[in-house]
Amino acid sequence: MEDLKLELKRQIIEVLNLEDMQPSDIEDAAPLFGEGLGLDSIDALELIMIMDKHYGIKFSSKEESKAALASVDAMASYIQQHRTK
Amino acid sequence: MVYLHTGYMITPLGEGIAANLKAVQEGKTCLCMHSNVHGETLVEPVMASLLDEERYKIEGFTLFESLCIHAINGAKASTTLNLQDEHCIFILSSTKGDIWESMATSAKRISSWFGNPNQPIVVSTACTSGVSAQVAAWRLLDNTRYTTAVIVGCDVQSEFIVSGFQSFHALSNAKCAPFDKERDGLNAGEAAVCMILSTQPSPEGWTLQGGSIHNDANHISGPSRTAEGSLRCLNDALELIPVDDLAVVSVHGTGTVYNDEMESIALHRAGLDTIPVTALKGNYGHTMGAAGLLETLLTLYALEQGIILPTKGYHQQGTTWPVAVSTQIRHTNRTSFIKLLSGFGGVNAAVVWTKQKTWHSVAEITLTPPTDLTAIYRQKVNAYPKFFKMDLMSKLGFLGVECLLEKVREIEPGFTFDTEHTALIVASRSASLKNDRDYWNTIQDKQNYFPSPSLFVYTLPNIVAGEIAIRHHLMGETSCYVLPDEQALEPILNSFMSTTKAHQLLIAWVECETDEKYNAHIRLLIKK
Repeated sequence: MEDLKLELKRQIIEVLNLEDMQPSDIEDAAPLFGEGLGLDSIDALELIMIMDKHYGIKFSSKEESKAALASVDAMASYIQQHRTK
Repeated sequence: MVYLHTGYMITPLGEGIAANLKAVQEGKTCLCMHSNVHGETLVEPVMASLLDEERYKIEGFTLFESLCIHAINGAKASTTLNLQDEHCIFILSSTKGDIWESMATSAKRISSWFGNPNQPIVVSTACTSGVSAQVAAWRLLDNTRYTTAVIVGCDVQSEFIVSGFQSFHALSNAKCAPFDKERDGLNAGEAAVCMILSTQPSPEGWTLQGGSIHNDANHISGPSRTAEGSLRCLNDALELIPVDDLAVVSVHGTGTVYNDEMESIALHRAGLDTIPVTALKGNYGHTMGAAGLLETLLTLYALEQGIILPTKGYHQQGTTWPVAVSTQIRHTNRTSFIKLLSGFGGVNAAVVWTKQKTWHSVAEITLTPPTDLTAIYRQKVNAYPKFFKMDLMSKLGFLGVECLLEKVREIEPGFTFDTEHTALIVASRSASLKNDRDYWNTIQDKQNYFPSPSLFVYTLPNIVAGEIAIRHHLMGETSCYVLPDEQALEPILNSFMSTTKAHQLLIAWVECETDEKYNAHIRLLIKK
């Protein structure tokens, strides 16, 4: 689980071009959107792409993806339950 | 558009605009007691302002005609416009002209002196003549084959005129006191004034926006007690310019009880109680056919210097409605004014003048390789992580504006964008071609097919404008053009600048051929 979270943080930083951040700057339970990282809706679409590309996850609704991408914790547990690769 | 090209005036205070402007600013007046007027002995001496006949009389012409010729000559000396051209029209403004000669004949003798081929027009609407003549010129230049108008306004005082004013008990034995509590009448004055207008733009950019004439439909000599005609003129005038641009209303302000009271009512009813008002008859008396031109030119050239002229003779409010009478020189950065007059026959007239603002280049910067964009970001911006998500074009535009702002603030400390009135025009030759290739490459592997929205969004060439707008909260126009070179932007900018309501303009040529071959040239222009 911890490995997965670290992997996720690295992917977020790389794909979203969070140039000045280290994985340790991202707290597991902190919200990804609205505050903190300052991510916007294009970033959300990029995270949806990460979930598909790396874990074979396709969300069926906006609500579902919103809950799954709320924090690194939420992403990790969703991946554990739903990953297809 | 109808532009003022030049003006000239002959008054007892001096010849030319500069001399008169200086005299008025110094509070000079040419009013004094006269017991005779150009050789005619008066039954009673009058307070008046008279010209020196000997100085201006031309052999074979009346004094009236001679003065008009001198005034036009003075103006002609400072313009390259051809007064002999068939597209040039002469307009004479006078209440009584030479009295014993048809004004049409005098006008023709004057225009012929200058070799003008057209039949001149005489506008004679009592004391409003000088403004009505401007309205006539504005219409002729706006609607007909004429491209230049020479307006000359003059009246010569005489026993004939003075006795008539006396019969109306309109004259004051003291120096007139416009809008003052103690005012008790007007003073006769003389001047010859010329104004040359053209449809060709002038360097100073003063334009006659339009004019309005209304009758009181009330009385042939007295003004309306409710200011019906003047109110309508002011209301029409206010449709031509925003009231926030209005620096001053140059009123008639004759110093008679009834006129000034009427004008105060008109100003109040038009909602102009707080706009500065200036009257110049305390300096010159009532110069009749010349007054509209004289007072327009002095007001205009004072505003050109950022000044509202004082009202000589005014001390204490003397009208029912308070009026913001300008009592001393005051400074303004507003550049529009209304000239208002009224006269016998129940006539009222107003013209609106405004100085067209022009675009001035404030600063410009260029970014070319090799430039360490990240280093510039760290030095000048920081804490704007979105920077790292941008494509090269956006980074160049974004940082270019940051560098430009720094430069602008060296010239104008504290400069900020007027976010509602700043336009942003971006242009390039390659547009998003580089990004298009980059994006296209990411979707070639159909087995690993994950199109990226953040790459796709930058395949539009105007995204850089959005990034800059977001950073600086710019809510004006953002446009994007794709052109063969930066030069091709010029005609687009020219047409934009002559029509837009924006008064700050960012122009960004951002050309990105490859990651190593780019050129950003960013400029700020301000209209002032």
